This record gives sequence, C-alpha cells and structure tokens, in this order.
Amino acid sequence: MNTESISEKKEVNREPSVHLIVFKLGSEEYGIRIEQVKEVTFTPEIARMPKIPVFIKGVANIRGDIIALLDLEERFHISSSALVNGEAKSYSKSYTLVLEAKDYTIGLLVREVPQSLSIPVSRIEKTPSFIQDLQINDNYIEGIGKLGERLIIVLDIHKILTFDEAEQLKA
Amino acid sequence: MKSREQEYKEIFIAEALEYFDALNRHISNLEKTPDDDQILAEIFRLLHNLKANAKAIGYLPISDLAHKLETAFELVRKHELTFSNEVATVLFDGIDLLGELLSNVDDPNYKILDESLFHNLDILAENGATKDLSEATKVQKLNARNLTLSDLIYIQIKKLDHLLNLVGELIIDRDRIISLSKDLNSEDLKAVSSHLYRITEEIQFSVMDARLVNVGTLFNKFPRIVRDIAQAEQKEIQLEIIGQDIQIDRNILQIITDSLLHLVRNAISHGVEKTADRLKKNKPRQGTLTLSAQSDRDNVLIKLSDDGRGIDIPAVKKAIVARKSLTADLVDDLHENEVLSYLFEPGFSMAKEVTEFSGRGVGLDVVKNAIDSIGGRIQVTSEKDKGTTFTLHLPTSIAVKGALLFEVEEGYYAILLMHTDSVVSIDKDELHEVGNMLVANIKNETIPVIYLREFLNSNDAHMNLGSKDRLNGTVQNIIIIVYNNRRLGLIVDKLYRQQDIVIKPLNKPLDNIEIYGGVTLLGTGKVCLVLDVPAITRYFISKK
Repeated sequence: MNTESISEKKEVNREPSVHLIVFKLGSEEYGIRIEQVKEVTFTPEIARMPKIPVFIKGVANIRGDIIALLDLEERFHISSSALVNGEAKSYSKSYTLVLEAKDYTIGLLVREVPQSLSIPVSRIEKTPSFIQDLQINDNYIEGIGKLGERLIIVLDIHKILTFDEAEQLKA
Repeated sequence: MKSREQEYKEIFIAEALEYFDALNRHISNLEKTPDDDQILAEIFRLLHNLKANAKAIGYLPISDLAHKLETAFELVRKHELTFSNEVATVLFDGIDLLGELLSNVDDPNYKILDESLFHNLDILAENGATKDLSEATKVQKLNARNLTLSDLIYIQIKKLDHLLNLVGELIIDRDRIISLSKDLNSEDLKAVSSHLYRITEEIQFSVMDARLVNVGTLFNKFPRIVRDIAQAEQKEIQLEIIGQDIQIDRNILQIITDSLLHLVRNAISHGVEKTADRLKKNKPRQGTLTLSAQSDRDNVLIKLSDDGRGIDIPAVKKAIVARKSLTADLVDDLHENEVLSYLFEPGFSMAKEVTEFSGRGVGLDVVKNAIDSIGGRIQVTSEKDKGTTFTLHLPTSIAVKGALLFEVEEGYYAILLMHTDSVVSIDKDELHEVGNMLVANIKNETIPVIYLREFLNSNDAHMNLGSKDRLNGTVQNIIIIVYNNRRLGLIVDKLYRQQDIVIKPLNKPLDNIEIYGGVTLLGTGKVCLVLDVPAITRYFISKK
C-alpha cells in the first residue's frame, strides 16, 4: 500500500468508508467492493472455449472450480495499448480477480496488480445522470469515487453479470 | 426419539410399497389363471406380512384392510369363493385402496371417501364366514412368527448421491497425482499412486454397485398398468417381461420411469389394434407387449416391442412435408431410419395423419430429452403390421462415464462413448465436397463429415464446411458420432484415448452454451471441454 492511501485513511478515519479493490482497465481506474472479491491470483492457464461471447476468454481451473474468465476491456469496448500492438492478447502475466456472486463464481482479467484502498462514502458520487441516460443497459457503474487526483469508477459487479447473461442469450 | 420413529415409518412405507407392487402383479396373473395355488399362496403371504407390519407401526386402517382382503383370499384359496368377475373387481379395488392408504399415510386429514368397499369385502367374507376357526389359526401363526432381522438396509438415495459425487472428485485428484508422480519421476510416489489407483477403482466400483437396483423394480409395476390401460381401451393384451434382474443405477431408472410409461401407453392405445382388426389381419387375437432388459457391455438396453400395426412411414413423410421441415422430393429419398427419427423432433405430431403418436401433451421429444439428459439414446424400428420396437440405450451408472478424448487446435475435448459409433482414419482424397458439406463413404454408408476446427472457430456467416482446402495433412482422423439414427463424422486434429471422466456442469454465464455438455479436469489439471453430441447434431439439422 502506498503512502498516499495511508494518509487518506487517517484523514477519513471517523467517517464510514468503503473498502475497494482497485484495478486498471485501459487508462482508467475501476473499483469493486472488497466483499465481492473472493481472491486475487495470477491468471492460471486459460482453456479457450469456442462459440462463446468474445469478452469471455475461456475457463480456468482455480482450485478445482472451473470458472469463466472475463476481459472487461473487451466487454466495455475500451481500447488498451496492449491490445493495439499484437493481434492476440496474452494473459500470461495478468492477474485474475475471483468474484463471488450469489450462486456462482467468475474471474476478471486485469493487467496490473490490483490495489486495495478505503474511500469515504461521501467521496463517492452517484453516476452523473446523463451517463445513465446514455447507456441504458450499462448502468453497472455504481458511482464515481474521488480521492485526491484519482478518479475511481466503482462497479456493481452484480449488474455486470446480469447484463452478460442477457447478451449471452443473444450470442 | 422422533427421528427414529420417522425412520421406521419410512422403512415400513418402502417395504409396503414393494408388497403393493407385488400384489398387483400377482392378482393380475391370478385373473388369468384363477386356479394357480402358488400365486394365491404368495398373495396371502404378502397381505399377511403387510397386515402385521402395519399393525406394529400403528397404521390401523391399513392393517384392517389387509386383514379383510386376507380373509377374502383365504376363502378363494379354500375354494369356498370362486375368483369370478365380481369378486375380482372387489379385490382389485381393495388393493387399490390399500395403495391409496399407503400413499396418504402421512396426511392427517385423509379420509376414505367410499366406505362401500369395506362393506363389499365384509359380504365376501361372510359368504364363507362359517369357518371362524381359520381366523384363530392365523392369529396364532402371527404370534409364532420368528423374529429375524433383514439383511437389507434401506438407505436414502441422497446419501448415495453424495458418496458418488465424492468418488468423482477423488478420481480427478487421483489422476492428478498419478500424472505428478510421472513428472517428478519419484519411485515412492509412483508406488503409492498405483496403490491409490487400485483403491479408488474399488471404491468407485463399490459405490456404483450399491446404487444398482433390478430393472424389475420398475418392470413389475407394468402388469397392472398394462391391464388397466388395456381394459380402458377395450383391447386384449398380454405383457411379457424379460430380464427383470438386469441391474441399473437407481436414478437412471427413476429418470426413465415416465418415458417408459409414455411409450407403453402409446403402444397400447395406438400400436396394438382392436381384436376385430387383429383377426382380420390373421393375427392372434391377443396383442403382445414385450418389455425386456439386457446388458450390452457397459450399457443396459431396454426394449419395448408391440406386435401392432407399426408406424405408417408414408404418413410420417407427409407430416414432415406438412411441417415444412423438408421438401417432398427430399423426403422421398430419406432412409426409413431417418424418417422415423423425425418423430423425436420437438412439436412433431401426427395426430391427424396417424394415431400412433398422437400425444397427450407429451410428445416423444420429451421422452428423448429425458434419455439425452442421462447420456443415453433412443432408437425406434417399425414394420407395417408387424409392430414397433423402441430401444433405449442407457448407461449403467451416472457419474463416471466413458469418453473419447481428442484435441482440436491445442484444446482438449471429450465426447461420450455412448454417442460414438467408431473412429476411422481416411485419406483426404476419400472426402468429397458435396454442397456445403463434406461426405465420405464409410462402411458402405455415405456419412456427412465436418471439420471440427472450422465448425468451432468460424462464426456462422464465415463458416465453410464444404471445402477441403482448410484440412491439414492428408490422413484425417474422424470420430463418427451417432444420435437419433443419424451419423455424423467429426474431423479432429489429434485422437487421444478412451478414459472414464467425471463431468462437471458449466457455471453461469456459460451454462447456456448449447454445444457443451460440461467440463472435466484431466490428470494434468488441464480443462477438457465435453462436447454435447445431441446439441451438435441438432445444430446441423436446423441448418438444413
């Protein structure tokens, strides 16, 4: 944990805060509430599965559980620098956030080591309404957290998964 | 203790229901041979035991009824009462009521609606009630009965399911350890793992064995059912049962119960002709239904045959055209087997054209789905005026299944052996481009063949299955799969081996991807995708 976040913590000590796991997609930072994250691990070998939506990269064996791995950059259509260079993206040096929903587990692929940090509830703003209006189906953004210079998009993982399923059926 | 009491009750019910089945079987037989003393003695014994057990556990209405029936049968046995039509009706009703009481035993609000049956039974008993002595001897017999504990224990299937799941997990880990011991090249580890292999093999076998039941437990319910349906349809039908003692996993038997009932009902209602029609065709007046079971390697074959009118192939063809599944000239060229396979398509009904398969809200597609779900398959053959035979190929056991492993583009895949017909290697030149497909002549049959790599990797718009250009190398490995009487060849990159696998279901959000039946872990820890043959075949049928 870096010094910045520690000083932030001190400052907000008495306020109720939200504990997030923060990771980068493209050039922005995204966060997911720690309760929804089961573990963070090096990405295991991915078994490619033909005939599934492109943003699901396949399945992997994590301690005997076989879970689907999602690339949110592709899911959100975010262009990342890594994507432009090579045609095939490699996930060999990436990390997997294992998320636990009510009745199943799923993995998110992220490029850099995810960080853990606390942010006061008051620093998380509701999503500006016009963004909600623009992306009717995509209101998986729970809010936008501001911490000094940083801007963290807080995701509601349950909504991402629900939407995946909807799109899934079309595929 | 309450739970102990509950357990006793459950055991009583389980036993009583077995008795009930047996009673039904015997009384149906008795109706045909009313003088058979052996059957009478057996009925007598069953009622007697049932009465005693019901009394012991405190189910008095059941023991009373069993007692009354027993008295009536006693009279029949002593030839003081003839097993005539009226008598038979009362006794059948009595046994039905017994079944009703058994299934409502836990309902405190349940009341017998019609007391007249008791009255009838009393009248029967009184007709020969001069011998009050017989009653007394019976009570004595009851008291003199030796107390013996059964060698059987009743166990909830849930517990066995759990055990079998654990065995599945164990096997995956075992294979993992064996492959690690090879990688590490440690002699000690190899010795231990080969011992582990033997033990898990034995555990697996024992648990699977514990779940096996006789097919007879299901078959023996049918004499009564057939009698009732035949009577309702005013048809004369005899049922032959063969191979009751073939063993099969209890859950598989459970899953096919409704399907078999459906097929039997169809066979009686629509397959077998009325007596007058049969005589016109020079057939024996009594129709015959044969329900048989036999072992076939690791599978069990259950066959249901009737000697009725058979399926009207031209009418099925008409129905195919009417549904616009195929054009008339294409249908004309179809092989008979293929015509029949359309009967299993969802929503396929020929209610108007032929009555043989007019459904009652349940079609043959439902039967087929049930059988697919346990990795089995169903076949039908039929000959005009000779009859129809349905054959169910069922796995003996659920959890561990034989599969063929192969590789496509560095990914591991498996197909259940149940769905594979054969494996062949043929030269590229023997494949021909026909329309949008490849075909090959294999064992004198023209079989469509698809290049699995192309099928898996191209989206529908760019898929080109009719071109040989994309094939690698000259010799092609082809797995021939069979489903619903149709054969399809799959070209794979590399063939591996046969192996028993434990299939894990795919979780959300991948649980709806049709072509996968699940995944399994290989000994190396690698994920292997299990292809769902029914779904792949369906894909190509809908394509056409």
